[in-house]
Amino acid sequence: MELHLTLIFNGLATGMLIFLLAAGLSLIFGLMSVLNFAHGALFMFGAYMGTWVYILIGGWNSPWGNLNFFVGMIAAALIGVVLGYLVERFTVRQVYGNHLRQILITTGVMLVVAELVKVFWGPNLIRVVQPEFLQGHFLVGDVRLTYYRVFIILFSTMILILLLFMLKKSKIGVVVRAGVENSQMVQALGINIRKVFTLVFIFGTMLACIGGYMWGPFQGQVNPGMGLDLMLIAFIVVAIGGLGSVAGSAIAAVLVGLSEAYMAYYFPPGSLAVNMLIMAAVLLIKPTGLLGAGR
Amino acid sequence: MKTTTKVTAYTNPSSGLNPLRIITWQKGAWIVCCLMLFAVPLLITKNSYLFLLTNIFIWSVFAMSYNLLLGFTGIISFGHAMFFGIGAYSLALTARHVPGGEVGFILAILATVVICFVLSLIVGLLSLRLRDTFYALITLAVATIFVIIAEQWRSMTMGNDGFNFTASLSRDLFGFINLLDRRHVYYIALIFLIGMFLLLKRFIDSPVGRTLQAIRDNEARAASLGYAVLNYKLISNILAGVMAGLAGVVYAISIRFVSPDSVLGVENTIDVLLMTVIGGVGTLLGPIIGAAVVEVSSHYLMGLANIHPIFERWVILFGVVFILIILFFPAGIVGTIKQKFLSKKKGVSS
Amino acid sequence: MLKIKDLHTHIEQFHILQGVNLEVPDNSVTVVLGRNGAGKTTTIRSVMGFYPNMSGEILFQGKSIAKLPPYTVAKQGIGYVPEDQDIFAGLTVEENMRVAMRREDDTTLERQEWLLDLFPDLREAWKRKGGHLSGGQKQMLSIARALVNETPLLLVDEPSKGLAPIMVEKVMEAMNVIRETTTILLVEQNFIMASQLGDYFYMIDEGRTVFQGEMQLLKDDEVLRKKYLGIA
Repeated sequence: MELHLTLIFNGLATGMLIFLLAAGLSLIFGLMSVLNFAHGALFMFGAYMGTWVYILIGGWNSPWGNLNFFVGMIAAALIGVVLGYLVERFTVRQVYGNHLRQILITTGVMLVVAELVKVFWGPNLIRVVQPEFLQGHFLVGDVRLTYYRVFIILFSTMILILLLFMLKKSKIGVVVRAGVENSQMVQALGINIRKVFTLVFIFGTMLACIGGYMWGPFQGQVNPGMGLDLMLIAFIVVAIGGLGSVAGSAIAAVLVGLSEAYMAYYFPPGSLAVNMLIMAAVLLIKPTGLLGAGR
Repeated sequence: MKTTTKVTAYTNPSSGLNPLRIITWQKGAWIVCCLMLFAVPLLITKNSYLFLLTNIFIWSVFAMSYNLLLGFTGIISFGHAMFFGIGAYSLALTARHVPGGEVGFILAILATVVICFVLSLIVGLLSLRLRDTFYALITLAVATIFVIIAEQWRSMTMGNDGFNFTASLSRDLFGFINLLDRRHVYYIALIFLIGMFLLLKRFIDSPVGRTLQAIRDNEARAASLGYAVLNYKLISNILAGVMAGLAGVVYAISIRFVSPDSVLGVENTIDVLLMTVIGGVGTLLGPIIGAAVVEVSSHYLMGLANIHPIFERWVILFGVVFILIILFFPAGIVGTIKQKFLSKKKGVSS
Repeated sequence: MLKIKDLHTHIEQFHILQGVNLEVPDNSVTVVLGRNGAGKTTTIRSVMGFYPNMSGEILFQGKSIAKLPPYTVAKQGIGYVPEDQDIFAGLTVEENMRVAMRREDDTTLERQEWLLDLFPDLREAWKRKGGHLSGGQKQMLSIARALVNETPLLLVDEPSKGLAPIMVEKVMEAMNVIRETTTILLVEQNFIMASQLGDYFYMIDEGRTVFQGEMQLLKDDEVLRKKYLGIA
């Protein structure tokens, strides 16, 4: 029983981190029908940038370690905003409406961004540790809960709630949901959908960069391979959850996180295959994904 | 209207013959090109150049097969390297485990054709019905699973390290081919390239090939005209898969070593994607030019890494070139030259 | 209010509109008639700016709006009710209205109240999702949504299509109120509705304006109706 509770706890933490990566991907895909192959590389760039700042200003060992951690997070978010704007403005925007060229151009961006990481920070992994107040663990019954994972779960859940609230209540949120369904009609109602695209792209990239940054202390390191590995998982999550559905992404991310946790315990090499099977099963029953709008 | 054309044809007979002359001129150029390539090993004895050219030929075939999907069918795969890798591993494994050169060699080709055929059929059936973006995603996932298998099945594949099988390559395949002689391998690759090029040309000009291009240009219209769109896409998917597999077989002969990274990983798919786009999507010659450009420049850029470590990051250059080509020259090198040439001719005639 | 001169529109390789000329006088209801495939919907969509490769002149209140993107056209004060209503199915009635609101100020909210008085069905379904509305409710929502901002000109594409007769009546009643403050360009196959609402008509056939005049003319001329509409 403790084993299962531990695995479920780990799965939740992994899942909620994946959610940060998948939420932006899902919104971008749902709203602009752009499958953003650069998303994983942007996630990685955010991870490196944040980690670099975190370490540069003293890291986890300085007396300001706790504060440093959040400064790193802000740096990751900022670089996400900048990269999101640049990528949307100079590449993705040029090829709206052409799926093939969108996939191609974001693949090109992926190559460049992933290589830039190696140019700036070298091809080797960088070790990174969580700040002091998130080190260690506590026990609930016999289940060991590490503080950092609890933090991940709380933080990501907060982001999820914030996102859902924005989509439900704010004007821009309502417009985004309308745009996911029918962007042409949104335009005919007097809204410049291109501006909305840019905003959503920036926001999605920012979330991914924050997620990437938090992934570092979770794994104890950042490395140049993390982008591609996690992007594939994020794609699967988006497909399972339904394109453009934030809530669907959250459910799917937890599902995939749980399967990752269990597979990591029982048969690590099989985890991708199991995720694929989950995706195949969901898409067979409901081709639009768990909460996807039919289109 | 009819009479005017007749008159011009009569007064200026050379203009009527012109197209014919162009065709023969082109054919002549092709034959000269091929002969020159056949003569190369007689002139160049340095193995490293032969090796480079051989690999260009092989990657050309791999890129041509990719172009069949991207350029002539309008679908984008991120898992094409799995077929290439299956071919390479087939040859490597049979070379190591099956005694008797010919038997192993034929077995490798048979296994490649059968596995690639079945795999491309299954992947195609599963994903071609979905929207195009899902095809990219599913091929990426399936290919990644193959990488994981190759990494994990250590008893068979030696895992991540891969293995070298130079010692098990036959020195007298069918009595006259020495797989350890760079010149022999060069000729194998060249003949393979010419054969595949002619096959692909045939296919593209065939009714099936033309229908495929019609589907690429407007799928809804082709479907409404009664074409079974899925079947045509499946045919192209299978042909591309088998072609890539065979290219993998020849590649393994050339590099005498296989590992997940070198033949199976997604990096290989991205390489052919670069070659195809740089050379010219949807042109027959494009992938060959693209393969040459990418192979030669990466060869020399890698050499420059001794001068400054920034050259280790040569992929960044390709990435930037790739983005610029997609933004400004979506037809690639060959396509852009073709367009220039055609518009010039139009300008003269009008 | 709206003037269209020699409008040509290509969709892919097809030359759909081959010279449409049309004028919508202020404070009128102008009806565009014609067979299926004649180019009525394409005309309206061209005005909205959905075909950037069109040619010809489109003047709205004297200013050219040709080739402007759809959102700019809408912002000039042109409301658009598409053929299939294009309600956002996952959004509630309230949210559908909110997407359209340019400002959420008192004037706009007052207009919304006025529209809800006009379509009481919408007030009832206020919190219901667009996808769960009946055909008639969708049509009402689509019209209300197009009118929530200050809208001098309303483009309506086949509002009676697929509606039960009772609903057609309700929509028609509402349109009779709307016309007092808004100029309307209406595409309609239902001749009863067209003839009761319309002041003027334009007949479009094979992408061209072939005939025009006051509605009374068409009401009186059975031969003409037969020729272009196939109805007596």
